[in-house]
Amino acid sequence: MSTQGKVTIHQLPTGVPGLDEIVGGGLPEFSFNIIAGAPGSGKTTLAHQFVFANATPERPALYFTVLGESAIKMLRYQQQYAFFDPAKLPDSIRFINLSQVVLDQDLGAVLEEITREVEKANPAVVVVDSFRTMVRKPQSDMDLQSFIQRLALFLASWQATTFLIGEYAEDELRDNPIFTVADGLFWLRQTAERNSIVRKLQIIKLRGQDSVPGLHTFRITEAGVQAFSRTFGLSGHMKNPPSHRRLSFGISELDKMLDGGVREGDSVLVAGSSGTGKSVLATQFIAEGIRQGEPGIVAVFEERPQAYAERATSLGLDLETPQKDGKLEILYLRPLDLSVDETMHSILSAVQKIGAKRLVIDSLAGFEMALSPGFRADFRESLYRMIFALTGIGVTILSTVEVDESFTEFPFSTYSISFLTDDIIRLRYVSIDGQLRKIMVVIKMRGGNHAKDIREYEITSQGVVILGKRLTNYQALISGIPVYSDRSVLKDDSPKDMGTEHKT
Amino acid sequence: MTAPPQTRYLAHRLLTYEATADKASEPVESATLRVYEKLRRSLCALAGVAGFQSLAFRALTQAKSEAPDLWAVEIAADGSLQGLGEIEHQLEEFELQLGSGKQQACERGVILISRLLGLLLVFLGEALTISLLRNAWPGASFDDRNSESGRKA
Repeated sequence: MSTQGKVTIHQLPTGVPGLDEIVGGGLPEFSFNIIAGAPGSGKTTLAHQFVFANATPERPALYFTVLGESAIKMLRYQQQYAFFDPAKLPDSIRFINLSQVVLDQDLGAVLEEITREVEKANPAVVVVDSFRTMVRKPQSDMDLQSFIQRLALFLASWQATTFLIGEYAEDELRDNPIFTVADGLFWLRQTAERNSIVRKLQIIKLRGQDSVPGLHTFRITEAGVQAFSRTFGLSGHMKNPPSHRRLSFGISELDKMLDGGVREGDSVLVAGSSGTGKSVLATQFIAEGIRQGEPGIVAVFEERPQAYAERATSLGLDLETPQKDGKLEILYLRPLDLSVDETMHSILSAVQKIGAKRLVIDSLAGFEMALSPGFRADFRESLYRMIFALTGIGVTILSTVEVDESFTEFPFSTYSISFLTDDIIRLRYVSIDGQLRKIMVVIKMRGGNHAKDIREYEITSQGVVILGKRLTNYQALISGIPVYSDRSVLKDDSPKDMGTEHKT
Repeated sequence: MTAPPQTRYLAHRLLTYEATADKASEPVESATLRVYEKLRRSLCALAGVAGFQSLAFRALTQAKSEAPDLWAVEIAADGSLQGLGEIEHQLEEFELQLGSGKQQACERGVILISRLLGLLLVFLGEALTISLLRNAWPGASFDDRNSESGRKA
């Protein structure tokens, strides 16, 4: 049977940034939805955003308030949000209070009153806030489920998209017959994670279309509710085909070690202990990109953008001009209660704004610390989603990570995230001739031939400078305490084809 | 303490509008009562009877502190105003004897309505309050401050 002749379900904008993507493009027209959650979880604000986004004088929204929050106080607070347009009242949005009907009569009378108002106004959107308070009245002739069923039938016939708002606790989700009537069930949660508050949204059901499963973080700001999809808004995005282009660090010796540079779209990890030059290397990577016409983003967590740019200046790298020219954005992501999804949203917005090709995350440790404690447990999984999403659209990511300097081990990272990265460059201190010197080695390079050489480098006013050839006169360099082994009598035994390693 | 000039001006406008509307038909109640009743209907729909009643009670308490001769006025359970008509009538009779017009009676109306509007401005802000008034008085203009009658051109 062909798809011709099937009904088309139009989608309405939710008015909530990020939520359209989560619900699969928009809210199905004429759907009957329940927004559930504990008090203060943002239910009313979400409904208001939908109402303000969709109500018109021709097809207005009817917003029924019942017992609970005073309508005047609700309007007093809601008008503080940017989306609240007073000019839409009362022609496009009408608030109707049903408290007296609920108090004096039963659910049947409430249904009659709603029916009367709907017939009069022919609304596109109907909200009942909060329908849960109606059932608390004893001796009602009509039970709540019957009320909901009749209301759903009536409003669907009147071609209205409906939201019922109700206070529900987590354990009320199971076996609740009211939820079976709904086409869409939105569950809002607000939980305390140590000293941070984390808000999460779940689309438990949505008939007729695919929504993004799972818990999505959201934030309530002066703009209202903003949702952050777990797929970062890239679920329907076409993946870029693998690139064979190489991106230079602007350090010719390092580029040679990387078989010509980092492959475009790779995720590179630069690991090393404090002071080994991870940030310097990252800055050179970004600066070289800008020099070659590739806009870049630097996400910093441990210092302010101004300080970051000033440090680059001391290395002879100008990050001020490209910022003014819109070729570079240094994002300072405010610490302590971020979710990865929010961070990603900021980064993606910047990537889209300036068409960034390179991204530096400096550092993963700072990133983790900036997250709300509840998200730190999922840090690896979140990083996986983020790196997969960004590299999928062709952005090359360089992340720095601090590792504890050990003289017995050679860890790549403290996060066990090596599997998330395509390329790993390890920096470390070694004790040679009474000096603490620095060495660099490419540990891994997916899909490329990388040098096996361990190279000494210095951080100068020109940035990272790789010195001479590989250190051949020492054994056990990666232990940090090498043993001198005079091999000067031997010929240079580093033919190019033997000095590289190929991995796919 | 009297109500701010802005709310007094708005109240005066509404009362003038209703008083002008009287002329077409025989008035059965005062302009103040008609303005109050329109506000009551409009606000009960928005905030419920209990919501309106608590606002009206507060406004009346404030008005009584400004005009003690409103002491006998009360707010009924449904939010309607009781006793104002009698007081206005007494004031009008008294002013007729003095030959001074209806200033005192009108002033009581301005005080009460301005107090109610003042609360709306505090809780809802100017934009929503004006929007609400526009809905209750579709023929009135709230932009043209030079219009004496307050009617749309």
